Amino acid sequence: MVCMQAAVEARSLEKKYGNKTVVNKIDLFVPRGECFGILGPNGAGKTSTLRMLYGMNRITSGELFVLGLNVRTHLKVIKSKIGIVPQMDGLDHDFTVMDNLLVFARFVGLKQKQARLRALELLRLMQLEEYKDHSVEVLSGGMKRRLVIARALLNEPELLILDEPTTGLDPQARQWIWHSLEQLKRAGRSLILTTHYMEEAEVLCDRLVIMDRGQILCEGHPKDLIEEHIGREVVEFEVAPEDLNYFVKKVRDQYRYQVINRKIQLFIGEDQDGREAAQLVNTSSIRIRRAALNDVFLKLSGHELRDQ
Amino acid sequence: MGLTLLTDLFYVPKLGRGAWCVWQRNFLYFRYSIWVSLLWVIVEPILYLLAIGYGLGTLVGDVQGVSYLEFFTPALMVISAMLVVFFESTYSTYTKLTRQKTFDTVLLTSIGPDEVALGEILWAASKGLLSASGVALVAWSQGLIRPEHIVPSLAVVALMCWVFASIGVIFTSTARNYDWFLYAQTIFIMPMYLFAGTYFPLGVLPELVQKIALFLPLTHAVMAVRSIVSGEVQASLFLNLAVLFVMAVFTTNYAVARMRAKLVT
Repeated sequence: MVCMQAAVEARSLEKKYGNKTVVNKIDLFVPRGECFGILGPNGAGKTSTLRMLYGMNRITSGELFVLGLNVRTHLKVIKSKIGIVPQMDGLDHDFTVMDNLLVFARFVGLKQKQARLRALELLRLMQLEEYKDHSVEVLSGGMKRRLVIARALLNEPELLILDEPTTGLDPQARQWIWHSLEQLKRAGRSLILTTHYMEEAEVLCDRLVIMDRGQILCEGHPKDLIEEHIGREVVEFEVAPEDLNYFVKKVRDQYRYQVINRKIQLFIGEDQDGREAAQLVNTSSIRIRRAALNDVFLKLSGHELRDQ
Repeated sequence: MGLTLLTDLFYVPKLGRGAWCVWQRNFLYFRYSIWVSLLWVIVEPILYLLAIGYGLGTLVGDVQGVSYLEFFTPALMVISAMLVVFFESTYSTYTKLTRQKTFDTVLLTSIGPDEVALGEILWAASKGLLSASGVALVAWSQGLIRPEHIVPSLAVVALMCWVFASIGVIFTSTARNYDWFLYAQTIFIMPMYLFAGTYFPLGVLPELVQKIALFLPLTHAVMAVRSIVSGEVQASLFLNLAVLFVMAVFTTNYAVARMRAKLVT
């Protein structure tokens, strides 16, 4: 049975390139009206998953439904109901800002007059109105991303899919995008986004999955995930390699911990106190901070450097 | 591999309004520089006719019972169309495919890869037809082609343009970089440009080369247009058209299947 309330539903979804598995039989369920995040490092399979949603990647096996429709059989209808902000902006640099929107409006089947009105409205919403006759080339990275979001909204989509919407943007531009995405969510649109910025997911997402190597490591509300896997606070300190054992023995009965190179992190639960832990450790350069999604990610995915 | 080729050749593309939208996108870009383009469409055939016709032609004398200029004019129509189409469907299409990611953007909408490929073929063919029209206009002003022969000639050119546009898209779908098109020009376009009965009648070539030439689309286009322009329509004209038509069907199917495989991974 397909749930009509689902914006996206995937069952045992798999993507292979030759023998290489990039998405390994994942299950997803995203209710309508939710902002759902897919987090993970580069090469985790986030983009491949998204691209299967809108038919740019063929599904190797499994089932995938978007807005209650099967991607394999109803791709055209699905595409008319969704808006996509891809990683590469795909803007036409030969055209003006306005022409970029008008050409795309024609692709989505809007009549010329309607297209112009809608384009102007969206340029106003994204605060790009004064640039409408400028070449796309003069726009900053943040402005380009806003234009791409405007483009994705031309067909008034029920679901907006965003692939790393703020990658490469400065903090101000990022804040601006977050704000506009929150507004879109409030207007009742479903959102799916990928990101490798944990704080972005904490701010925006109702629920998220963390992916790594094509698999889903965990799923839930950001706060719940932090509480479940890490706790309330993190106490971290660096030690000399030869002292590592000494410190681990000292803390291991009372606290959950992990070791990253020379750094020891203690996870402080609801009923524990970070300062007590710090006193127990009693070494220099101890830091106590709030637990974050980043800690969940590092704990679950391991912490070696990724090359890609 | 062999089976893939076979299924690709007989793959029937899905048509929709999308191909037309892609054509319109390209036309919008063309409009940015339309006057220079239109001027060039007229100026280039004038230069050619001056150099080849009046320059070379005076040395050559009559060919097949007509002046060299009259002999060469139909060839110039198809040659200039071929070159424009091939450039458009290789360099331009490849740029849109790779650097500009234009097609990826189109595919964010309900327009499918088949329609993108067909739109590109349609656009490249249109530009080729425009170029041939320029030649026809100049030739008409010089009394080299009768007005009632212009439309049927251009119809043949349109069919040929479609073939070359599809071939160009096939090259584009297999290209790794721009150099690839230089090879394509050297091994495919240049021999045709020279040996397809363009600058001299096929009959002067060795018999084997003549036979090989009959497998080239340009040969049939030159023969067909020459037949129409001469005013004596021969039965061979229909054979030429049939060959071009069959080539068009298979090259289009293959081009679309290739582009689809390239765009949806």
